[in-house]
Amino acid sequence: MSARTSQRRDYHIVVLGAGGVGKSCLTAQFVQNVWIESYDPTIEDSYRKQIEVDGRQCMLEILDTAGTEQFTAMRELYMKTGQGFLLVFSITSQSSLAELQELREQIIRIKDDENVPIVIVGNKSDLEEDRVVTRQRAFTVSQSWGNAPYYETSARRRANVDEVFIDLCRQIIRKDNTTTPSLEEDVVYHRRERRRPHRSRRKKKDGVCTIL
Amino acid sequence: MVTDGDQSLRSSVHVAPLSINKDRSRGSSNVSSHRRNLSSRSSNRTGDSRSSQSQMTPPATPNGSQEDLRQHIEPQQPVFHNFLRAFYPFHPTYAVSDTTVTLPLNEGDVILVHSIHTNGWADGTLLVSGARGWLPTNYCEAYDPDYMRNLLKALLNFWDLLRSPMTRDSELFANQEFMRGIIAGVRYLLERSNCLTRESNLVQSNDGLRRNRKALLSDLSALVKTAKRLQEYTVVHHHQTNEDEVNSTIDEMILKAFKIVTRGVRFLDVLEDDIRSRQQPVHRAMATVAEEIYNPPTPPADSTSFGGTQQVDPAYEAASRRSSSHSSASGLSNLHEQTKRQSQSYKRMSTPFPNNSSSSRPLSSARPTSAHVKRQSISHRLSASIPAAQRQNLVSEKLNASHDLFLSHLASVIGRYNLQSQSSAELILSVRQSVTAGRETLLVVEAICAHDLQSAEALDPARNTMYNRINKLVNAARDIITAAGMEEEDVVMPQQNGRLLTAATECVKAAGECVAKTRFVIERIGDFEFEPQADGLGIDIASIGVASIEQTKPSLEEVAPQSPTPQEPASRPPPPPLVIPSYEKPLPEVPLGSTPIDEDTTRVSPGGLEPVVEDEPIEMASEDTKRSSRRSLLPPLPKMTSPLLTQDDYSPSEQSVNEGEFQPSFRSGSIAISTSGTSSTYLSSMRDSESSIISQTSTRATTPDNSVYVPRNQPSISDLSMSGSQSTLADDADEGESKMLEKTFAHELLHKEGQITGGTLPALVERLTTHDSTPDSMFVSTFYLTFRLFVTPVELAKALVDRFDYVAESPHIAGPVRLRVYNIFKGWLESHWRDLSDHEALAVIEPFAQDQLGRVLPATGKRLLELAQKVSSANGPLVPRLISSMGKTSTSIAQYIPADTPLPPAVISKSQMGLLKNWKMGGSNPTILEFDPLELARQLTIKEMNIFCLIMPEELLGSEWTKRSGSNAVNVRAMSTLSTDLSNLVADTILQYDDAKKRAIIIKHWIKIAHKCLELNNYDSLMAIICSLNSSTIVRLKRTWDAVSQKRRDMLKGLQAIVEPDKNYAVLRRRLHDHVPPCLPFVGTYLTDLTFVDAGNPATKQLPGLGDCEGMSVINFDKHTRTAKIIGELQRFQIPYRLTEVPELQEWIQAQIVRVKSSSENENVQQYYRKSLLLEPRENLHPKPSPIDAQNGWSAGQKEKFDIFAWTHSRDKERSGSVSATPI
Repeated sequence: MSARTSQRRDYHIVVLGAGGVGKSCLTAQFVQNVWIESYDPTIEDSYRKQIEVDGRQCMLEILDTAGTEQFTAMRELYMKTGQGFLLVFSITSQSSLAELQELREQIIRIKDDENVPIVIVGNKSDLEEDRVVTRQRAFTVSQSWGNAPYYETSARRRANVDEVFIDLCRQIIRKDNTTTPSLEEDVVYHRRERRRPHRSRRKKKDGVCTIL
Repeated sequence: MVTDGDQSLRSSVHVAPLSINKDRSRGSSNVSSHRRNLSSRSSNRTGDSRSSQSQMTPPATPNGSQEDLRQHIEPQQPVFHNFLRAFYPFHPTYAVSDTTVTLPLNEGDVILVHSIHTNGWADGTLLVSGARGWLPTNYCEAYDPDYMRNLLKALLNFWDLLRSPMTRDSELFANQEFMRGIIAGVRYLLERSNCLTRESNLVQSNDGLRRNRKALLSDLSALVKTAKRLQEYTVVHHHQTNEDEVNSTIDEMILKAFKIVTRGVRFLDVLEDDIRSRQQPVHRAMATVAEEIYNPPTPPADSTSFGGTQQVDPAYEAASRRSSSHSSASGLSNLHEQTKRQSQSYKRMSTPFPNNSSSSRPLSSARPTSAHVKRQSISHRLSASIPAAQRQNLVSEKLNASHDLFLSHLASVIGRYNLQSQSSAELILSVRQSVTAGRETLLVVEAICAHDLQSAEALDPARNTMYNRINKLVNAARDIITAAGMEEEDVVMPQQNGRLLTAATECVKAAGECVAKTRFVIERIGDFEFEPQADGLGIDIASIGVASIEQTKPSLEEVAPQSPTPQEPASRPPPPPLVIPSYEKPLPEVPLGSTPIDEDTTRVSPGGLEPVVEDEPIEMASEDTKRSSRRSLLPPLPKMTSPLLTQDDYSPSEQSVNEGEFQPSFRSGSIAISTSGTSSTYLSSMRDSESSIISQTSTRATTPDNSVYVPRNQPSISDLSMSGSQSTLADDADEGESKMLEKTFAHELLHKEGQITGGTLPALVERLTTHDSTPDSMFVSTFYLTFRLFVTPVELAKALVDRFDYVAESPHIAGPVRLRVYNIFKGWLESHWRDLSDHEALAVIEPFAQDQLGRVLPATGKRLLELAQKVSSANGPLVPRLISSMGKTSTSIAQYIPADTPLPPAVISKSQMGLLKNWKMGGSNPTILEFDPLELARQLTIKEMNIFCLIMPEELLGSEWTKRSGSNAVNVRAMSTLSTDLSNLVADTILQYDDAKKRAIIIKHWIKIAHKCLELNNYDSLMAIICSLNSSTIVRLKRTWDAVSQKRRDMLKGLQAIVEPDKNYAVLRRRLHDHVPPCLPFVGTYLTDLTFVDAGNPATKQLPGLGDCEGMSVINFDKHTRTAKIIGELQRFQIPYRLTEVPELQEWIQAQIVRVKSSSENENVQQYYRKSLLLEPRENLHPKPSPIDAQNGWSAGQKEKFDIFAWTHSRDKERSGSVSATPI
C-alpha cells in the first residue's frame, strides 16, 4: 500500500438537498479545522479539506449549494463538476427526503451513470423528538436507490460528519479503480471495500444509520 | 564553543529559554504564578492539574518531577511571552560598542519583549525606563499574573497601535479606542484586588497600597490627558497637524503607559506582600506539604527568610543545569557562591519575587522541547509595530514576500495562457520563477515546522498539497516542453497550456491555504527570524530552465533527473533539501558563555552580539539618525555603566554598590514602600530617578527602533514629569479616581486588529455609546443591521436603559453618554425599526422616555416618546434610510457615472420597433434573432438591476430567503426566479426549432447576448444564460453544436470559465473584487456566503479565562461583522445602470418569460430534456438504457415514444393556445 499513499488526488464532492436541512452546517463542520477561529466562506480554500481514506491522501473539494436552492437552473452546473454526491435531508421533514428523488434523477441523467457515488444523509439526528422520517423508511429509500449508504448525522454535535465524506470518498476511489483497472493492490483494496456496506450496517455507533 | 558546531548548536538550544512555558499562549490563560501565590500554595496542584486537562500544553511551572515526566511525554511547544520580569539583576560588563546595547536589569524589572534569539537573548524594552536593548532571558521569568493580564494585554495593543506606522491615522486617535483598554486594565487590576474604591478596607489598612493606588491613578489620568491632547491635534487641526508634535505626544503616551504598568506591577507586589504577611502561618504549613509531595531536586536555600523561599532558588537551579549542560564544573562553585548571594539579596528585598521557584522550571522544562526544536533563531512577537526594515528577516515577512512572489510568477504563467502562443523559453522562465518562489515559500514553511513540532503536524497537509501542486506544475511544464520539442518548434500552442493552467491555479490555491495556516501558526508561536540560504534550492530549478533554454530544443528527459521534484513524490515531500538550509544557517556569534552566569570568563562581548543586533533597525536609520541614536545608545545609563565597566564579576559588595547606585530606580521605590518610609522621599526619588534615567535615554525610549520616526530631541519624559508629576499629585489621583469609577465593560470586549470581534451585550452597548468619541460607523451600522440575530429587541432596549442608568456613577461622562443612548434609540426608531419584531421593546422604551430620560433631559425624552408612539402606527421607517447605508458610503453613484453623461442611445431600429408594435397589436411574435444582442443584454440588465436594487439588507439575514412560506425576502426570491426564468427562456427558444441549423443560430445569438452581458458586467444574466447553454438538455444536441462555429464555441468556453463554480467561484470572485459599479453580480455567491458565515461561525466566543474562572461566553460579533460585510458588498452594487430603457422591448421580454413560465410550470427541466431527446434522439452507441428509464421501468424505446407523445401533446396544447405558440 505504500505506493498508494504517495498519490494524492483531488475529488469533487457536491452536497445537495433542500433548503434548511442543515447542509451548510454539515459542510462547514467538515471543512473547518478546529483551530480556525473564524470561518470565512468567501475565500478559495473555504471548501477544501484533505483527509486520509484507507491510507490514501485525498483532497476533497466540496461544492455546497446551500443558499442557492432556488436557482434551480444552476443545479446542473454544480452537478457537472461532482464525482460524488451527498444527498442531505432532514429527519424532521418528509418533504426534504422526497425532494432528493428529483435531485438523484437529475444527477444520474447528467452523469449518465447509474452507479455514480452517492451517500444519503439524514441530518439533524440530534432532534430525535422531532423525527418524522423513520430510519426504516430512509433506509428503504436508500436501498432502492442503488444501495446507496445511508447515514444519520448531527452537524450540530459533529456526529458522523467525517464518516459520510469518507464513505463517499471511498466510493469514488473504488469507482476510479474499477474504471481504470490497475495494480494488484487495487484488487485487494476492492475486495476489502466490497464487504464494507455489510460491515457498516452491522456496526452500531452513535447514530450510524443502521437499521436491520 | 562556536568552533564546535554541533555542540554549540545543541547547547545553544538548551540555554535558550525560549519556551518559558508557563501557559499556552500570550494574553490568554489561566494558571499564572501570581494566582498561585496569591491564593495559597496549596492550590498549586489543583491549579496545575486542572490546567493540564483544559489546555493542550501542560503548564510548565510545576514544582515537581512529575511535571518533568509529562514534559517528556508530550513535548510542548515554545510559547512566546510578551512580558518578562527579571528575577535576578543583570549588570553587564560590556565594552562599549556602537552597535550593541545590553539592558541592565534590576530584580523586578518588567520587560516588554520584542523578540527572543535562540541564544537566549531577548530584544526588549524596559518598562521602567523605556530603554530598549538586549537582555538575557534566563534572568527573567514570564510575567503574566492574572490581575495584571488585562492591563498587560492593553499595553501590548497600545504599543502595537501607536508604534505601527500603518495605523497612524487620525481616526485611530480620534476614537481613543486604545485608551479604553488601558483604563479597563487598571480598573480590572483594582477591582480584582478589591481596591477599586478609596474606601475599601484593603486600601485603608495598607499605606503602601494606598499610595501605590493613588500613584497609579494619577499616572493614568496623566495618560488620559495626553491622549486627549492627541485627539485634539488630530480632530481639530486635522490635516495640518504638526507631525512632530503628534509623534512626540505618542512617545510621551507610550512612556506614560509603561509607567502605568510599572505602577501596576508595584501595586501588585505590595498587595501580594500584604496578603502574604497575613497568611504567613497557613502558608508555611501548606508549603511544607507541597514540598513533600513535590520533592524538589535541590534543597531550599534560606527557607526561613521569607514565605516564598521554601522552594528552590531559581538561579541555583538554572545555573546548575546550565553548568551541567556546559559540562564546565569549574563554574559550579562560583555559581553556588552566586546563588547564596542571590538568596541573600532576596532576603534584603522587601518585595520578593514570589514565584521564583517556578521561574527556574521553565528553563529546565524547556529542554525537552528545545531538543526537538531543531533550530530556532529569533522569536518575535507578531506585531504590527516592528518596522519594515526589521521585518525583512522575520519569518512572517519572508512568508508573505515569498508568497507574493510566487503568486505573481504564477500569475504570469496563467496570464500567458491567454496569449495565442508563446516560446517555450518564456514558458520555462515563468514556470521556473514560479517554482523557485514556491520553493522559497515552502522553505519558510519548513523553517516554521522545524521551529515548532506541533505546528509541523498541523501544517503538514497543507504543505504537502502545495508541494504536490508545484510538482504538478513542473510536470505539466515539462510535458509541454517535451511536446514542443518533438515538434521541432519553439512555440507552445495555447491549447497545450490547459493542464499547465490548471496546475498553476492549483498552485495558487494550495499556496493560499498553506500560507494562511502558516500565518496562524506564526501568530501562535511568535514570529522569529529566519534567513533562507539563497543557493540551497535555486540550483535545481535553475538547471531545468538553463538546460532547456541553452539547448533550445529542450529535451527534458535529460534534465528530468536533476529536476528538484521527484517523479513520484513521497506522500510527505522529501523535506531535506528544504530543511537543510535552516540548519546550516550560521549560528549567531553570540557566545553562549556570555549568558551572564559565568560572567568572569565571558562577558557579553559586543562582537558576539553584533550579528544579532545588526537586525536592529536603528541601523537602518539615516546616517544622522544613526549617529545620534548610537550616541544615545552608547552610554544609555551612565550611572550604571560606569561602575559596571570596571567590574569583573558580581560580588556581593559590588552588588550592593550597584544598589546604591541604582537607588533611584524601581527597586528602591519598592523598598521605600515596604519600609513605609516617608512617602515624600519615595515620590520624589521616583520622580527624580525616572526623569534622570529616562531623559538620557529618551531618544531611544521615544523612538523604539522605529525607523519611520525620526528621533526627536523632545524628551517626552520631561513632559511626562511635568504633566504627570509636576501637576499636583492629588488632583491627578482624583481624576484617575473618577476614571476608575467609571463602570465599564470594556474588559468584556474582544478585539482583533482594531475591530470588535466579540463582547457581552453591555460591552457592545457601551461601545455604541462612548462618551469621548463618535462610535465607529461600521460598528454602528453592523449593530443596527444584525442585532436581532443575537439579542431580542427588548433586551437591547433594557441594555441601553441600563447604560443610561449606570453611567450616573460617573457624573463627568454621564452627559455625553446619555445623549448617545438617546441617539441610539432615536436611530433605531427612525431608521431601523421593524415593528413586527421590535414592537415589544416599546414597553421598555416608552417608560424610559417618560421617566429616566424625561427627568434628565425633558426635551429629548419627549421627542423619544413621540417617536415611539409614531413608530407603531407608521408603515416602514419614519426616516427612510438609504438602502445601502453600509456599502455605499464610499461609492456613490456620482463617483462612477457623472450624472450629465448622456445615456447611450438604444440600439433599436425603426423596423424592430415596428415588429414590436405589430406584436403588441396581436401580430406575430418576433424571435430574439430580430434584435441586437447588445440591446437585449441591456434590457435584461435593466430588468434585473431594477429588482437587485430593491433588495433590502434584512432580506439577507437569518436565511430569510430560504424560508418556504411567508418569506419576507421578496426581492431576493424575485432575483432567483428571474434568473431561473431566463435560463428556461434560453432553453425554450433553442428547442423551438426542429432544424438543427436554426437551433445553432439561436445558440449563437445567446452566446453573443451572454458576451454582451459580460461586457455590461451583468454576471447574474451571464450565469443564467451559461447555465442553460451548458445544461444537459442543450449540451447533448450534438448535431446542433456541430453547426456552431468554433469561434463562438471558444467564446462560450471563455464565458463559462468565468462563472465556473470550481474553487469556490474563484474566477468570478476575483473579477468582482474591487469591481467598480455599475455591475450586477451573481447573487448566488452572496447567498451561499451568508449561509456559510452563519453555519460556520458559532454564535458565541469565549473570553480568555482568568484564573479559576472559565472564560466568559460573549456574543461573536465577528460573525455579524462578516455578515454585514457581505451584505455591504452586495449593496455596493445597488446602483442602477445608466442605460435607456426601451419599454416596448421590456414588455416583449416580460411576455416571453411569462409564456415560458406558464407553458411549463415546474416541469421545465424534464420537459426540455424530453424535447431535446426528441429533437436529437440518443444515438445507439450506448445500448444501455438510460438510468432514469431503468428507474422508471421503461425501456429507452418506450420512453422515447412516451416523450414524443408528451412533447407533441404539449406542443399541440401550445398551438391551440394563442400567441405563445409562435416561435420567437
